[in-house]
Formats: sequence, C-alpha cells, structure tokens
Amino acid sequence: MQDVRAYVGPAGGRGVVEDARILSAYTICATVWLLITTAAGLLVSFKYSYPDLFTSPLLSFGRLRAIHTNGTFYGWASIALVGCAMYVAARSGGVTIRSTRLAWAALWAFSLAALVGTVGLDLGMSNGSQEYREWIWPATLLFMAALVLSLIVVVATVSARIGHDIYIANWYTIGGFVFTIILGITAIVPVYQVGLGQVAVQAFYMHNAVGMWFTFLALGITYYALPKLLNRPIYSYALGVLGFWTNLVFYPVIGAHHYEFSPLPWWFQTLAIVFSVGMLVPVWAGSGNFGLTLRGRWSSVRRSYALPFLVVGIAYYFLGSTQGTIEAFRSLQAIWHLTNFTVGHSHATMYGFITFIAWGAIYALVPRATGKEPPPLLVGIHFWLALIGVTVYVAVLSVAGTEQGLTWARGDPFIASVEAASPYWLARAVSGTMMFLAHVVFAYNVYVMTLAPQRASASHAAAGASA
Amino acid sequence: MNRRGMNDVRVLLASAAFVYLCLALAMGVIPGHVLSATPPGPGVRPLSAAEARGREIYVGEGCSYCHTQQVRPLEQDRVWGRPSTRGDYAYATPQLLGTERTGPDLSNIGARQPSTVWHLIHLYQPRALVHASIMPAYPWLFETKDAAAGGDVTVAVPAGYAPAGKVVVATQDAQDLAAYLESLKQAPLPAAMP
Repeated sequence: MQDVRAYVGPAGGRGVVEDARILSAYTICATVWLLITTAAGLLVSFKYSYPDLFTSPLLSFGRLRAIHTNGTFYGWASIALVGCAMYVAARSGGVTIRSTRLAWAALWAFSLAALVGTVGLDLGMSNGSQEYREWIWPATLLFMAALVLSLIVVVATVSARIGHDIYIANWYTIGGFVFTIILGITAIVPVYQVGLGQVAVQAFYMHNAVGMWFTFLALGITYYALPKLLNRPIYSYALGVLGFWTNLVFYPVIGAHHYEFSPLPWWFQTLAIVFSVGMLVPVWAGSGNFGLTLRGRWSSVRRSYALPFLVVGIAYYFLGSTQGTIEAFRSLQAIWHLTNFTVGHSHATMYGFITFIAWGAIYALVPRATGKEPPPLLVGIHFWLALIGVTVYVAVLSVAGTEQGLTWARGDPFIASVEAASPYWLARAVSGTMMFLAHVVFAYNVYVMTLAPQRASASHAAAGASA
Repeated sequence: MNRRGMNDVRVLLASAAFVYLCLALAMGVIPGHVLSATPPGPGVRPLSAAEARGREIYVGEGCSYCHTQQVRPLEQDRVWGRPSTRGDYAYATPQLLGTERTGPDLSNIGARQPSTVWHLIHLYQPRALVHASIMPAYPWLFETKDAAAGGDVTVAVPAGYAPAGKVVVATQDAQDLAAYLESLKQAPLPAAMP
C-alpha cells in the first residue's frame, strides 16, 4: 500500500482533502440512518413485552419492523461500507478518489432511496412484504442507481492505481457491487415471481442480499484495514482469492434453506443445505486468514481502539456463519425454523459481523483522513455496550427460539410458545437498549471525527499513527 | 503498464459478472420461472375483490412478519391443517409464506376461525379475546362513534377494551381484511394424493 504517494503525487493535497470529506459525509449519513432505524428496532423490541405501547399506524410493529431491517441494511450498513470502499480503493492504489462528483451523486441517491423507502413503509406502502426488499420501487431504483454510480467510482479509482496488482480488498468490493446490481435486477423483474415462483426468487434474494453484498464489502474492507492497522501484510493472498471464488460459487445456491419444509422442490432445499456446508470453506478461509494475520499481535489490539471492533467482527463472522451452516440441517430446522433463533442468527451476522467491521473501518480510516481523533474512553464505552448488548441479544433469542420450537414439538397450545419466549423478549429489549446507547455514543464520536472543530493538541495527531 | 488477467479490472468485472449471472439464472430466475407456472390445486380459487383488498392491508401492515402461511409436513404442524402443496399458492402473489411464526399459522384460519365477529374484535384489540396475545391492535381500521348510523358494521368489543359509551364501527379496510382472513381455507386434497 502506497498511500504516502497520494500526498505527494499529482492528485496532491486538494484531492486528499476531498477524499476525507467524502468519507466523512458517507459516515455521517450512515450514522443518521443507524440512529433512526435502530430506534425503530428498539421500539419494536419493547412491543413484544408491551404490545399496546404507542398504538398508532405510524409506530406500528408491522411497519417499523420493515423500516428497521431495510434501513439498517440499505441506510446504515450500505452507506457506511460504500464510503469506506471508495476510500480503500483510493488509498490502496496510492491515488485519490476518481470522479468525486459521482461519489457525491451516489451518496445523494443512497440517502434519497433510504428516505423514500422509509417514509413509504411508514405510510403502509410495502413492496409485497418481501423481506429485505420492502422498499417501494422508486426507492429501489434510486438505490440501484447509487450502486451503479459507486461501482463506476470504485472501478475508475482502481484503474488509476499506481501499482500493478489490484489489491484483494478491491476484488471483494468490486465483486460486491457487480453481484448486487445483478441481484437487484433479478429481484425487480416481476414476470417470474408469481406465487411459489416468488418464493424461489425470495429465497435467492434474501440470502444473496446479505452474502453477496454486505459480506463482500465487509471482507474487502477488512482486507485493507486489518493489515493497515497491524502494519503487517495479510497472512495469505491465496486464501483471500480462495475465499472470493468459493463465496461467489457457493453462496448463491443456499437461499432455499430459508424455506425448508416448504412446498419448494425437496431437491432444491437439499441442494441449499449441501452448499450451506460448502460455505465453511470461504468462511474458515476468510476468518482463518484474518486470525493468522493477527497472530502474535494481541498487544496491538489492546493499544488500538479500531482493532478490537475488527477482531469482534471477524469472530462473529466465524461464529455466525458457522452457526448458519449448522442450523441449515433439517433435523435442527425442524425445531428452530420459524422461531426467534433466526432473528438471533441475523443479529450475530449483520450486527456482530457486518456492523462491527463497519465500525472498525470507520475508526481506522476516518481519523486518518480528517486528522481528528475520537475520545478513547467514549470509543471504549461504544465498544463494550455494543459487544455486551449484541452478545446478550443473540444468546437470549437463541434460547427463546429453542423454547418456542420445543413447545411446538411437544404439541402444547400455541400461546405456550408466546409465554415461554416472553421473559427472553424482555431481556432482548434490555440488550437492545444497550446497543442503541452504543449507537448514540458512536454518533458523538463520528461528530468529533468529522464536523467538530480541530482540537489544537498535537499529541492527538501523533497518537493517530498508532491507532 | 501491462495489466493482465485478474489485474486487468475489465477481466475482474467480466468474470465476476459472468459467474454470478449464471448462478442468478440457475438459482433465481429459472426456478422462479418454472414454479410461477404451477397450476392451481383442486379447489384453489382466486380471491374476490374485497378479499384482494384485504390482502393488500395484510401486506401493508406487515402481518406476514409474525404469521406464516405454510404448513410443514411435520408432526407439530398438524394443528394448522394439512401440509401445504405447490398448488395452494397459484393465486398468492405477493407470496406470504413468512419466515417467522410469532403468531399462529394462517393457512387455514378461515376454517379454524370462521366468525367475522371474532376477527373484527380480534383486529380491534387481540387481548380482548386472547389474554396473553402480543399481537398489535389495529384501532385505525375502525371508527368510534357515539351512535351507529344505518349500514354501519358495529363491533361488539367486550367492555373495558373500547371507549365507554362509544360504538366501534368497522371501516371498509377492516371488513376487507376480515374477508381475506376468512378466505384462507385449505382446499381438501383428493384422497388418492399423498
């Protein structure tokens, strides 16, 4: 990585400042959506224990749930990761972001998409309740336009690189954009989505939206941020390449494991289960590669405020994805399918993995770009609130889901599953509160790193080098 | 500079796009296309206009986040009806199979709970009928009036669950949604079929 050259090259100082502005703006927008959509999620979690809390159409469970899932996906995580991906494309190539205008246009499109989608959902306008694509079509089209613009920016930036090789981080991010544009088109065309046909497409869509978009972007950014923070090369380039191709080939086949025991063809479900086991290859290749890059450097993790987030993200990538393989087996789906266990799993992955990687990358990249450090104490509070919060969250919902599944298997009256899960739902709301408080602290840290006036202390700038 | 193979960004783009395009066709588009042509099962009929409007309310309020419409071929699902078949979904677009069962499965709710009155009270305030229910109440699908006018569908909400001295009247939306729920009846399968 030759980021020194960016400061002396023809693109020079002005380009570097503009890159910092772009990264900051993406981070700020993403953080706003994080606050809005996790506030919605928090209210939803309390409604499990207090169903008559705020009974109003605009604050109803069915609308806020979709606002929470779509908004955290396409408002928070997408905008945060795309901002980092653009910045990584520039820094890893020793240049500045190419076509900053397109980068700004993409951010407007992302933000407008999130606004239109969220407001539409709150008014009861949903794209057929198809999970993770509930935003109405104008919002979806805006999001797709933003993806195309972002892809152009990243490809143009990577093409302008100084070195010969395309660094592996950019394989993953470019791949993520390409796959998600194809996936988006697949999901929009309605002609092959009638009745059970739509179930098949939804199975494909809902899993690919996670695994071909967030996973690729988060892994790509980790391939840049982790070696950068440790100041040592990635353990194995080849494992990174192996992970790229196996994730690309195995992941698209596993969607039907969301509809086990449904009327989808039985062999189609079996194929999904077999490939779910295959997913251990990219997951262990990726997390193993990161783990081996970290070997013997735990003292660096202790001294850094960004690295602990990446370490948690890598750990949850390993644990959450391995859990995904195990729970795909029919014997276990017979108990866990349709229960809260799934919600626990989705938070282990989308929060423990994706969101922690996004935070690690933001804490790694933004202070270097702006020269403004967040207060270490507040980063620590953010870290522990979020880590304890999500871990308790996943644990209690895993137990709640198991209880639900067991009451059904015992043949108890249905309401027994509601009563069995109730105490865990309250615990989930409490852990959700911790997670939300972590987001408030994070938002303040983002303010300090971006909009706040530069602090005069030179020691902070020096400390940035070791962050 | 000579950039070959995967270090040529065009090759990287094209190979990634080609592989994924093939997989998107094989795992998304083609299964979707084939299964979209599934004919309706025996006795499966399209929805009436009112039922179809009710289904839109069901979608907009996100009912499918807690209620499945799929009976699995498992012992514990017998309580919900017979196992669902492909032909059950010929007229069910958007599909509402669901991925969570926080509330009961509704594949056969029209047969299990055929009373319009029950559905309307339950939509207005679920806890008036099922004490431990955590289903949201949907009072915005109803009007509360001092007195019912001619043609109003009044809902006999148990005392304590509606404003005292008022009459609860079901809007067209509530009636449509109830009509949709009552339409959810599994068509009996011919005896010879598994």
